[in-house]
Amino acid sequence: MRKRSQIDPEEAKQSIIEYCKRKGALAVGVADLAVVERVAPPGHRPSDLMPRVKSVISLGVGGQTRGAWSVPAKAMGYFGSTEGRAYTVAYGTSFFIENRFGVPAIYCPPDMDNEFGTRVPLQSLKLHAEVAGIGARSLAGDILLHPEFGYMYFASVFTELELPPDAPLADNPCPAPSCVKMYRQVGRTPCMKFCPVQCLSGTIDENGNQTEMHYDMAACAEMSEQYEALPIMLAEAARSDDPTKVLMDPDNKLYWYKMSVGSGGLLAQCFECMRVCPIATGAPLGDPILRAAAARTEPDPSQ
Amino acid sequence: MTQGLTREQLGITDALVHTYGEIVFRLSNNVQHRIGDPIRTLDLDAVEAQRPALGMSDAQIAARVGLTEQQVTYIRNLAEVERMSTNNFQRLLALGGSKRFRVERFIPHEERFMYSETALRLRAALEFKPEAARRFVESGEWGTDTFRAWLDHWATSTPERLAVSGGNISLTYGALQLAVRRLASGLHASGIEPGEVVSVQLPNGLEYVLSYLGITYYGAVMSTLYMPHREAEMANIMRHARSRALICLAHQADFSPAQTALALRHSGQLPDLEHIVVVGEPLEGAYAFDTLTQTEPQTLPTPVAADPMLLLYTSGTTAGPKGVPHNAHTLLSNTRLGVPEHAVTSDDRFLCAAPYGHLFGQYSLHLAWCAGAETSLLPLFTPSAFTDAIVSERPSVVFAAPAQLSACLATDALTGRDLSSVRMIVTAGSAVPAELVEAIDALLPNGTLCQLWGMTETQAGSYTRHDEPAAVAARSAGRPSPGTEARIVGDDGTALDPGEEGELQVRGSLLFPGYLDNDEANAAAFTEGGWFRTGDLASIDLHGNITITGRLKDLINRGGIKYNPLDVETLIDQHPAIAQCAIVPLPDDVLGERACCFAILNPDASVTLEALCEYLLGHGIAKIKLPERLERVDELPLTPTRKVIKGQLAARFGH
Repeated sequence: MRKRSQIDPEEAKQSIIEYCKRKGALAVGVADLAVVERVAPPGHRPSDLMPRVKSVISLGVGGQTRGAWSVPAKAMGYFGSTEGRAYTVAYGTSFFIENRFGVPAIYCPPDMDNEFGTRVPLQSLKLHAEVAGIGARSLAGDILLHPEFGYMYFASVFTELELPPDAPLADNPCPAPSCVKMYRQVGRTPCMKFCPVQCLSGTIDENGNQTEMHYDMAACAEMSEQYEALPIMLAEAARSDDPTKVLMDPDNKLYWYKMSVGSGGLLAQCFECMRVCPIATGAPLGDPILRAAAARTEPDPSQ
Repeated sequence: MTQGLTREQLGITDALVHTYGEIVFRLSNNVQHRIGDPIRTLDLDAVEAQRPALGMSDAQIAARVGLTEQQVTYIRNLAEVERMSTNNFQRLLALGGSKRFRVERFIPHEERFMYSETALRLRAALEFKPEAARRFVESGEWGTDTFRAWLDHWATSTPERLAVSGGNISLTYGALQLAVRRLASGLHASGIEPGEVVSVQLPNGLEYVLSYLGITYYGAVMSTLYMPHREAEMANIMRHARSRALICLAHQADFSPAQTALALRHSGQLPDLEHIVVVGEPLEGAYAFDTLTQTEPQTLPTPVAADPMLLLYTSGTTAGPKGVPHNAHTLLSNTRLGVPEHAVTSDDRFLCAAPYGHLFGQYSLHLAWCAGAETSLLPLFTPSAFTDAIVSERPSVVFAAPAQLSACLATDALTGRDLSSVRMIVTAGSAVPAELVEAIDALLPNGTLCQLWGMTETQAGSYTRHDEPAAVAARSAGRPSPGTEARIVGDDGTALDPGEEGELQVRGSLLFPGYLDNDEANAAAFTEGGWFRTGDLASIDLHGNITITGRLKDLINRGGIKYNPLDVETLIDQHPAIAQCAIVPLPDDVLGERACCFAILNPDASVTLEALCEYLLGHGIAKIKLPERLERVDELPLTPTRKVIKGQLAARFGH
């Protein structure tokens, strides 16, 4: 094991990126720690979680398959465990760093900060990814999009290993040209039009760039997050003459199912904005079919 | 979340929550507004300037508002609970996602259709035994039949085939479906929702057919009033049914149903009655039927077989009206299973003399609509009009009550007329005299008479089959219909052997589930095993043919000896001085009951009780069955199906 002073930051970064990609990440970047520390609010900065942190590594794995994007929402309303793949890669990366370089690393927990309730994350994985240059904020509630990989799930690793940071994306792929065209015709982009709760709005300038993005996150969250459902149901049951009837009402029973099985429908957004987003579903390497086709056309470096 | 500290420890009061809830929510991540792309472009001053709009942490909000961080966390979480409704994911489940979703198409759940209290009451009455329901479904007896499914099927597959005719009416199935959709759309637009009751008092005309199909086409429920019903019956039945609307004539010969209904509504006796739809001349305060039938067809709710579709009231010969709810399972499965038994096909043309307000008449419509056959309308029965219609319309299947057939025979209306088109006359409504069956059968060169037994509670419980000789119909109402079990039970509740007389009990997929809101009647009507006590006296022969011999409550209980007066009545009806009679029990202090004979005498005829008894004794009638009182009357009270209402006669003696 090398001493820290013997580690070449550039080489280390490349080996980490290669590891991540080998394990399934599509994009990997290192965020400028100073920027993240300044933008993140107190209590949610990397140094709040890991005081000696030197680098924030962000990685993204592919979003849904093309099939998943296209099936009816009756089934899609319950999907959601793709993010687990990102967490697995990040978890492995933290072990990889400690094994390879003997420097402390942590897998950044994607969980909510229990001190602040159900909707405040410990860290903003989105901020890490944006500053690391693997995603840019979209009109769809600031969901990050990548010009090549479209919509990804992100995870982060913090380490005391100092790695050279990447720059944010030079260009924001959102809005796509077709979205700009639609916006000029009807005043809305697809994500705005097809949002089930109409929580998105915004404006686009004459150059086709975002000027304003408005996101009613509460409306978005109440579309799919159901943290309030269980206490409301229990309160109704307590007031009812027949509590069992309330608790076992078919709709209410769904919450018990979600609680026990842990289906993403209880905890995640509905993703309808992404299902109609031409970048999320149509980026050059946006789904496994496109990526496989691209791989087949790439020249073999061994020849 | 607040480290286990209580509201009191945090200093949280309702006033604090009320005062700061809005601003805390606004400053939090719950509402986000971004200008430009400041993070990606590393314009960190812009990030700082936009922080309140981008969404702040609880600590930042606390510093901004002047609260502690824990107070902000507490207040923000409360605000989220208050503002966030649940079940929003149902939006996608309702409409589908991606580009299928259109926010303008989404109707919030709280704004969607909800069955009214009245509708739910009726739905609650349709409770069947689960084990029986399982059997009916598994056996295929209960299926997916609805009028709408049948009508839509025939309108699509054979739109040009005649569905309704008679007089100057000629409506194909395609045209009938359009007319029905128009009326249904009009009713629905007027606020009559699925599951709600529409009463109908109409003769056997096109308006009745359209009303029946129109009401049930989108899941509303029809309830019939018989044509002889007047103010008292209208008030009682419609109040009990909680009718939302009434479709009726502007005027009958001696009576204005529409004006009566308006007056009843005005006086507050019919609080649920919202609309009166009048057939005939317009009436202020009432809808015109013709206006409703001109409504542009709309997309309408689709009923299913389990939905209530018909609420009938028993003829009530001995008691007040009892509501009999049916759904398509009970009525239309019985019909579908009956079609092959009667050999009904789409080539048949039906003519019905019995009133459509009664289930016997409705059964003729059900059979026709199930098979895609034609119905020729006969709005008003007279022997000559009936016979003329048979000759001119050439029906193949005719429905008529025994009394109607008797009237035809008495007036010789059928004699010498061309009845060659008729392959079957179906009759039901009371114990049918063998002589009547034989006489009618003899007049049919190409047909036979079918005797059917049924009740409001059952529709067609048994009938003779189309290929059976008239002799079977002369002595019985045939075998049980498919899906129906029948047995004869003695006084002690045990099943009797073939040939023995007792009470007829039935059960099966045709049977209504129970009277509406009448626990007392239901307790009396059903046995533990789910058998329905019909109240009819009958016997079943070795071949399973059921012979109806009278009504249980018409038995005379003379000093503990019970007997059925039917054979006595039959003999008296044949006495040259008597046109028609009915024997009812007369209260007696010593014997309990004695027999009283009410008789209509033939013109210029006279007879004494003694002479009548001599006549009966001469025909072998036992002394104990001789009437002990003779009351001469000008007419006997009759049900719409021409059954003598013995209860009204008995009531004259306080029975």
